[in-house]
Amino acid sequence: MSAELRLMIPTTPTVEPDDRQLVETIRGGDADAFETLVRRKTSKVYALCYRIIGNAEDAKDISQLVFLKLWENLEKYDAQYAFDTWLYRMVTNVAIDFMRNKQSRDNAVNSNLRLVKTAAEEEQTVIVQRKEVENVFNEISNVLSPKQKTIFVMNQMEDLPSAEIAKILGCRESTVRNHLFNARKLMQQQLQRRYPEYAQLWRER
Amino acid sequence: MISCESFRNRFVAETDDAAVLEHLRACDRCLDFAAGIDPDVMFRALGGGELLPPGGVDAFVDGVMQQVRVRSAESTVAAANVLSWPRRLAVAATLAAGISGTMIFYGGRVPAAVATRGAATTPVAIARGVHPVPVEKFATKPVVETYESQNATIVEVPTSETGGNDDVKIVMIFDENLPADL
Repeated sequence: MSAELRLMIPTTPTVEPDDRQLVETIRGGDADAFETLVRRKTSKVYALCYRIIGNAEDAKDISQLVFLKLWENLEKYDAQYAFDTWLYRMVTNVAIDFMRNKQSRDNAVNSNLRLVKTAAEEEQTVIVQRKEVENVFNEISNVLSPKQKTIFVMNQMEDLPSAEIAKILGCRESTVRNHLFNARKLMQQQLQRRYPEYAQLWRER
Repeated sequence: MISCESFRNRFVAETDDAAVLEHLRACDRCLDFAAGIDPDVMFRALGGGELLPPGGVDAFVDGVMQQVRVRSAESTVAAANVLSWPRRLAVAATLAAGISGTMIFYGGRVPAAVATRGAATTPVAIARGVHPVPVEKFATKPVVETYESQNATIVEVPTSETGGNDDVKIVMIFDENLPADL
């Protein structure tokens, strides 16, 4: 009997509140809702920070800073815009600031770090390995300006179209395309200089 | 996720096909194949979205929430320390009332000690006409209802000299045995 009854009771599906609803709840003073939002966005925010900054610990610190800024500025969010666009703008602003400060610090210490490869390594068959690609990217993307790198990461890794990136950065789409073009050019030049085995792929194209 | 065979058939340079990109970011063998056709996909293969902070999501979220609580506590304390406008007005009104009350109590006169000090240290005060005021004593004497003594000389002041008030009688008592405090 109880089994039959159980079958007749309609199961109410638990609907997760969307980002805008969560923000409204947080504005009402619910700190638990903010924790839910942080948990939901951690992976995306951290990934973007990591790709722009290139260091796990720094990326973690910057991501935490982003969420603190989010908490402090949540009242300013206008619900007619996509929450992710607003969040990404915050991430890029904080990450670009960090990169600019870091670049000026690094320039003061050492600007001539070069990767030297042995002849034996160069002769190895070129097999594109994911981990290696990540190292190569972290190595050569340092030549990009913080803004170029941010745009490159958002377009190439986050798959965001240039119109969306323009919205996030508050600039024109043509500016984004221009930065993207220059970034790719610089990356190819650096690849050719530091990793000729990979640059060969471009030459063969 | 699509198969390797399907990926290799569908892959073209500068693709934006979500399924193709998903496969590209998961399969190492196909990454090598794709890089041979379109070297630009090399960095696209890194992707985003799926990275986790060192220490895991739980530790990360705990860290954020801890800092949020600290910031909230700080802002609450800071807000409590800042007086609101009504409070500031209340404080100002209390101070004004206190100053006014003091002035009324002293009746606009300058206390003797202040006047003397001012006269001694600043000649300007004298020039402006600050004069020393005799110190008044407000000590009260006990009221004598009856007094009997054979040696005393009692002189009663006529009531007309006290302004015609019959209730008040001024009596002068001359007696060697009179208590000193009377």
